[in-house]
Amino acid sequence: MAEIFQTLLTPFHYDYMVRAIWVSALVGGTCGFLSSFVTLKGWSLMGDALSHAVVPGVAVAYLLGLPFALGAFVAGLLAAASMAFIRSRSRIREDATIGIVFTAYFALGLLLISLFPTRVDLKVILLGNILGIADIDIAQVLIISAVTLLILGLKWRDLMLFCFDPNQARALGLPAGLLHVTLLALLAAASVAALQAVGACLVVAMLITPGATAYLLTDRFGKMLWLSSAMGVATSLVGAYASFFVNGATGGCIVTLQTLVFLAAFIFAPKHGYLAAKRRLRHSAS
Amino acid sequence: MNFLLDPLQFEFIRDALLVGTMVAVTCAVLSCFLILKGWSLMGDAISHAVLPGIVLAYIAGIPLAIGAFAAGLTCAVSTGFIKQHCRVKEDTVMGVVFTGLFAFGLVLFSRTPSDMHLDHILVGNILGIESSQVWQTLSLGAVVLGVTLVLRRDLLLICFDPAHARALALPDRFLNYLLLGLLSLAIVISLQAVGIILVIAMLVTPGSIAHLWTERFDRMLIIAAGTAVSATVLGVFISFYFACNTGACIVLAQALCFVVSLFFAPKHGIFRKVQVVN
Repeated sequence: MAEIFQTLLTPFHYDYMVRAIWVSALVGGTCGFLSSFVTLKGWSLMGDALSHAVVPGVAVAYLLGLPFALGAFVAGLLAAASMAFIRSRSRIREDATIGIVFTAYFALGLLLISLFPTRVDLKVILLGNILGIADIDIAQVLIISAVTLLILGLKWRDLMLFCFDPNQARALGLPAGLLHVTLLALLAAASVAALQAVGACLVVAMLITPGATAYLLTDRFGKMLWLSSAMGVATSLVGAYASFFVNGATGGCIVTLQTLVFLAAFIFAPKHGYLAAKRRLRHSAS
Repeated sequence: MNFLLDPLQFEFIRDALLVGTMVAVTCAVLSCFLILKGWSLMGDAISHAVLPGIVLAYIAGIPLAIGAFAAGLTCAVSTGFIKQHCRVKEDTVMGVVFTGLFAFGLVLFSRTPSDMHLDHILVGNILGIESSQVWQTLSLGAVVLGVTLVLRRDLLLICFDPAHARALALPDRFLNYLLLGLLSLAIVISLQAVGIILVIAMLVTPGSIAHLWTERFDRMLIIAAGTAVSATVLGVFISFYFACNTGACIVLAQALCFVVSLFFAPKHGIFRKVQVVN
C-alpha cells in the first residue's frame, strides 16, 4: 500500500513536474473560461485556425530573438485579418476561407523552420513542451493569462450579450466592432498560451471542449463559465500529472481526458444528455 | 533547362513527382465537391483523427492505410452521431471529436516503441517515400479518382441540391457515406506527401481557386487539377533546391495561386469587381 502511495507521489518530487502541473492548470483555466464564449459564438474553427496560424510568428520571433508570444500574437491577428478580407471580398465560403488561410500561414511557418532548423524545434511547437518550459516562457504565460482573465472578468457581460445576440448588443449601444476584435485578440492570446502546454495541434481542444461540455450541463451562462473554467483546471491538473506515467505526452493526456469528460456529459447530462433524451422519448410514448 | 532536368536523375525525385501528381489530382477533384458541399473542414477533422488508427495498425501489424481509413471513418460517423443527439453545434462537435482522437493517438504513440517518426506523419516526407509506398499510393489514388469521376454527376447533385437528389430517388445516404469514404482514402494517400496538418490545404485550396475562375463544374475539375499538379511539381523542385520541407512548399505554391486568382480572376476577382463598380 505504502509503495503505491510512493509511486503516486513521485511526480511531486520533481521540480519540473510541479511547475508543469500548475502552469497547465493556469492555461487550462484561462482557456476553459474563454471556451464558453467561443462555443456560444460558434467560433470553434476560428480557434483551430488561429492556433495553426501563429506558427510563422513563433518561428520569426525565435529567429529575431523576440519574445515568442509577441510574434505568435501578431501572426494570429494577421491571419484573422486575412480571413476577414477574403470573406468580405470574394465568393469563397467562410469555412473554405479559414482552411486556405490557416494552412498557408502554417506552411509558411513550416518553411521557415525547415530553412533554419537549429533554432526552433518543430515538435515543441506542434506538440508543446510543458515539461521543459523555460522561466521566461512561464512569465509570458502568466502575463497572458492574467490579462485575459482580467478582461474577461471585467467585460464578460458585454461579451456574453455580443455572443448571444450581436444586434441586441448594438441596439443597447455597445461597441460591437470593438467587442468582436477584443474576443478575437483574447482568442489569439489564449492560443499562444496554450501552445506551450499542449502544442498547436491540440490548442483547439482546450478552447472548445470545456465550453461544449458545460453547455450540455447547464442553461445559465454564469454557471457555464464556472463549469468550463473548473473543467479546464481539473483536466489540466490531472492530465499533466498523469503524463508523468506515459512518457510525457502532456498535451495528449490533457485533451484525451477532456474528451472523456465531454463524452460522459454527452451520455449522462441530466437534461441535455443522450440518456435523458431517450427517457423523455419513452415517457412521451407511454 | 538543367535546372529542370538535373533533379530528374534521382529516383527519389521521380517517385516524389509521380506520387505528388497523383495525390494532387485526387485531392483537387475531391476538393471541388467538398467546397460546394461545405465540408471543407471535415477534411481537417478526418486528417487529424487518423493518427490513432495509424498507431493501432502499427501495433497490430496490419497496413497503416487500413487503420488510418478506419479511424477517419470513425471520426466522421461519431461526429454525425453526437451532432444528432445533442444541442452542441456541428463544428464544435467536430472539433471535440477530432482533437480527442488525435490526443489519444499521441498518448498511444508515446507508449509504443516504434521506428516511426512523428514529424513525418505530421508534416509529411515525400522525398523519403519507399517504392512499396509508391505503388500503394498510385493504385489507391487511381481507385479514388476513378470512382469519383464515374459518379461525378450523382455526387455533384447531392452536394448542390440534396432535395432534388432525393426527389430523383438517388441513394443520398449511401452517396454521402461514399463521399466520406473517398475523402478518408484521399487523406490516407496524401499523408505521405504533405502530412496530417497540411492535407486540408490540398483538399480546399484547388477547388476554391477553380471556383473563382469558372461557373461550370467540368471546367472547375480541370482547373483545380491543373493548378494542384503545377503547384506540386513546383513545390518538389523548390524543396529540392533549397532543402526545405516539401509539403510546406507545395501548400505555399497553391496559396500563391489562390492569392493571384483572388485579385485577378476574370469574373470574381477583386480587381474585376472594382472595375465593374467604377
